[in-house]
Amino acid sequence: MAEQFAALIIVVPLIASLFVPVIGWWKKRLCYPWVVAVLIIPLISSLSILNTVMTTGKFSYRLAGWAPPWGIEYVLDHLSAFVLVIVSFISLMVAIYSKKSVQDNLPEKTVPFYTLFLLLVTGLMGIVITGDVFNLFVFLEISALSCYALIAIGEEGAPMAAFNYIIIGTIGACFYLLGIGYLYIATGSLNMADLANILPPLYDSKVILVAFAFFTVGLAVKAGLFPMHTWLPDAYCTAPSAVSALIAPLMTKVAAYVMIRLMFTVFQPHFSIEIVPVFTILGWLAVMAIVWGGIKALAQTDLKRMLVYVVVAEVGYIVIGVSVANRLGLTGAILHIMNDAVMMACLFLVTGAILYKTGTREIHQLSHLNKKMPFTMAAFTITALSMVGIPPACGFFSKWYLILGTIEAGQWFWAAALLCSSLINAVLFFRVIECAYLKPMEPAYAHDGGETIHEEIQRDEAPFTMLVPIVIMAAGVILLGIFSGKIISSVIQFAVPASF
Amino acid sequence: MLDYVISKYNFWIYIILMMIGLYAMIGKKNLVKKLIGMNIFQSAIILFYVSTGVKAGATVPILSGHGHGHGHEVIEVAKYINPLPHVLMLTAIVVSIATTGVAIATLILIYRKYNTLEEDEILMIRKETGV
Amino acid sequence: MKVIALIAVIMTGTLLIYGAGDMPDWGDPNSPANSYVSPRYILEATEKTATPNIVTAVLADYRSYDTMGETVVVFTAALGCVLMLRKKRNGEGG
Repeated sequence: MAEQFAALIIVVPLIASLFVPVIGWWKKRLCYPWVVAVLIIPLISSLSILNTVMTTGKFSYRLAGWAPPWGIEYVLDHLSAFVLVIVSFISLMVAIYSKKSVQDNLPEKTVPFYTLFLLLVTGLMGIVITGDVFNLFVFLEISALSCYALIAIGEEGAPMAAFNYIIIGTIGACFYLLGIGYLYIATGSLNMADLANILPPLYDSKVILVAFAFFTVGLAVKAGLFPMHTWLPDAYCTAPSAVSALIAPLMTKVAAYVMIRLMFTVFQPHFSIEIVPVFTILGWLAVMAIVWGGIKALAQTDLKRMLVYVVVAEVGYIVIGVSVANRLGLTGAILHIMNDAVMMACLFLVTGAILYKTGTREIHQLSHLNKKMPFTMAAFTITALSMVGIPPACGFFSKWYLILGTIEAGQWFWAAALLCSSLINAVLFFRVIECAYLKPMEPAYAHDGGETIHEEIQRDEAPFTMLVPIVIMAAGVILLGIFSGKIISSVIQFAVPASF
Repeated sequence: MLDYVISKYNFWIYIILMMIGLYAMIGKKNLVKKLIGMNIFQSAIILFYVSTGVKAGATVPILSGHGHGHGHEVIEVAKYINPLPHVLMLTAIVVSIATTGVAIATLILIYRKYNTLEEDEILMIRKETGV
Repeated sequence: MKVIALIAVIMTGTLLIYGAGDMPDWGDPNSPANSYVSPRYILEATEKTATPNIVTAVLADYRSYDTMGETVVVFTAALGCVLMLRKKRNGEGG
């Protein structure tokens, strides 16, 4: 039964996306319920797959029935099933949230918007589920193309940001394609499991080294790692809020997943660690990403732009976990893929809701938001505490593992960077919380006659469809924190390569 | 040395093409030139893949006379070139066309907004309008 | 910008030339790419898929999933252009 779920996870959103134009042509307002209903199926399927993987171990699904090195197969192990659940859950939440945002910002573009939304989700799931390096490239391009188009319809400056993203994203994807070509020349195979078997005797070959270098650079571009991040802030910031809430948590995380998959499954860990010194370089780049992202975020007055730079820093976290290359660090990295996806989704959803209700993203204009939008701000506060790393929330646990990993690897400076970043996050988010909760009335209200006018602040909460995903995400931040021990012991410890 | 250069000449050609494309993508100021650079870059990769499938003295991978229901003559693998890179590149060509299409659409949006496709002029306009 | 571009280009080019050293020669029928997976396509494809053109057989049967992805890419790009360029027509919200 689970094998069929594996097929459904791609086919359902794909076929459904073909039906969106038909439904939209008939009745435009039916697009939204259709998309939400459709996205429930991948979530159920991925949960069932995760359950199967946890009980019976990894399995694969042959497409068109051809045996692996000749045909294409899906591979479902702990890592891919885990990331699938994250992707399908976040995309469902963002789909629920998107109703008012799309009605408000893109009324005449509802139909293509939802079609591309489903295609983007299809692409992301395809990247995660496939066991074939070239097939991964095809899905990478599906997700990237829909992402370019969705970004380009954003606010002022979005087309330029989208064009830069197209150019740099294509360099990344082409480097990845070149890496596949080099691997293919040296081995003759495209299947990940098959490559993992063929590669070890070839580790001395220059072709393999070059392939590895191109994979790393290409995926670092896609993930937005420090020197290659230049496309990221503008693209994520100018995109419509429903779009940035989907791509900011997922695109970079999925690229990080591919990085983990290639470095630890296709290449054996000892190749990545001993033969190529790539992890030292990646680790220092990640430290620079954390520091630079933090500093740039401190300089922003626009809430969304601040969060975008936090995304740059968070990519650094995951890459540090990958580059320490020990069990603790990698556990932290995989856990952080989940935690960061949930936290970032929540923060971007809150930002979108604030923009929808108040029409502003400037931090200093958010005063008294705790009275206007109590639930939204409560969710924001919980997630902010998690970003800082206060224990019951989930952000603490992944940081804890990452720091333990860096200490075990003897990289004290990396550990210091992680701790430092927590402090920066504390300053960043308490600045917002202070504005929202503690700042007095704007002087414009009270300057008349010197007497303070206590105007009653109307409660003006975000609409229901926005509030539900925000509250679920905030609850998720706490619940994932409480259950993180269980998640690690039942899923993540099997997702980390056994040789550690 | 000369033998070495000649025996791998397909790589040198594709490396040169790819470097031209990469330079245009990063270094050029005109957005259309960047796009052209992107196309050169992708074409170089396509040529590289196709050149890996070549076998000296072999022909196109279409079996004449081996069709369905016909005899059981022995097929010599060395007589037909490798079909897999061609298949992959058919997909990659389509991807590259699709990317070009989306990029041109964004260029149209940019041109509608700023009336120019020079990157530095656009940056100046954006600075003047304070966005 | 031009300097950065040149540095990137030179670094990539050096890497590629370095990698070309261990590449099989052009047209070598015994290179791994030509001798591991692909011979089976040439030997079996006609028999199993009843198609004399092996590229077609691989494209539409062995790796048909890639081809499906390829058509989806075209669909995505077309819809992306519609999304970006379509303007509201008079009196219609479409």
